[in-house]
Amino acid sequence: MASDQFHAKLYQNFTTFFDKAEQERRWNPYRDVPWDRINPETPEFVATCAETFLGVESFLPDYIRKGMEAVRASSWAQRSFAANWGYEELKHSVALMEYLMRSGKRSQEQMFDFQAKLMEQEWKRPFDTARQMTIYGTFQEMATFVIYLRHEALAKQYNDEALAAVYRFNARDEIAHARFYEDVVKVYLEEDRPGTLSDIAHVAKHFEMPGVGIVPDYDARIELMREHGHVDRDIFLQKVYFPVLKYLGVTRQELVDVAKRERDERRAAQAAQ
Amino acid sequence: MLRRAANLSGDADISASQGDEKMDRPELLKTFQRMATEIAEKDFGHVTEEHVIADLGIDSLGMLELVGSMERELKIAVPDEQLVGIQTVRQLLDLVEKRTKVLA
Repeated sequence: MASDQFHAKLYQNFTTFFDKAEQERRWNPYRDVPWDRINPETPEFVATCAETFLGVESFLPDYIRKGMEAVRASSWAQRSFAANWGYEELKHSVALMEYLMRSGKRSQEQMFDFQAKLMEQEWKRPFDTARQMTIYGTFQEMATFVIYLRHEALAKQYNDEALAAVYRFNARDEIAHARFYEDVVKVYLEEDRPGTLSDIAHVAKHFEMPGVGIVPDYDARIELMREHGHVDRDIFLQKVYFPVLKYLGVTRQELVDVAKRERDERRAAQAAQ
Repeated sequence: MLRRAANLSGDADISASQGDEKMDRPELLKTFQRMATEIAEKDFGHVTEEHVIADLGIDSLGMLELVGSMERELKIAVPDEQLVGIQTVRQLLDLVEKRTKVLA
């Protein structure tokens, strides 16, 4: 059972986060995006990338339900954050879908068909515990932030100010989410460093971005996004993995030691059978 | 992003030796092969410097675990920023060898 200190720290983290979100980060996808500055000449591949983002964001019902299940019993702060997260993430798919329709790249009917196709699949939560899902959220939100920023630059390249604004608003939310998750992981590290290090190593080893296997034509779509967003594994290391570890005060060597210890324990258990 | 390596049943006991910080190149390659085999639980005894690390089924975070194990064995530390851009076994061994020479 978590300590009173754990709950108190998370309470503080959430109230700071939520207050700042209410004051500084609320935006209206219908009114705050400069929809009159869509570039009708933006190439189709840019729209396909936006559609891929939409595809991933559209599994929101699964993310909300299964994410909340993981944290529901953990702390008031985490389930309150999960509720707010759902609202903030909703705006991402709203804005992306509006862009695709208002730009003329997709019809409303195509968007409804796309949504129906997506809902034939279901996102499976990759990890079971609140702590593991928080660590997962740290890497995943940070990676999404980096990718959105790169695609904002791409949209600007094509003078599509509306799409650039969508990506900028979305990115701003994602980094706020990543920072909250990071701060929660720091509290977990204070509460139980060995256990949290073990979970960080485990999550990192098995990490996958959420759209894998559930967004139609995912591999081809991701190849396009990587090519035009200039995102590869080195960018993940440089912009996501190393900065997160540094913020958490966790070294690579600690994770290597945890992995080795667990491997040795597993082998010893197998040998004893 | 991350792929799981297949378990190799019946693998021999591998114990890390207290290595000398200064190793020649063939010894460094053997250390790499041994560490990769231990971590991935799959035989990497055939790996050469020409191999692309990703083609061996070792993703970026697997590579970090491998480097971390070599750092521990060789008592060196590779700065994080130097690990970006490592594609081949040769590049990885160049990096590790350079750090051992820095200590020498």
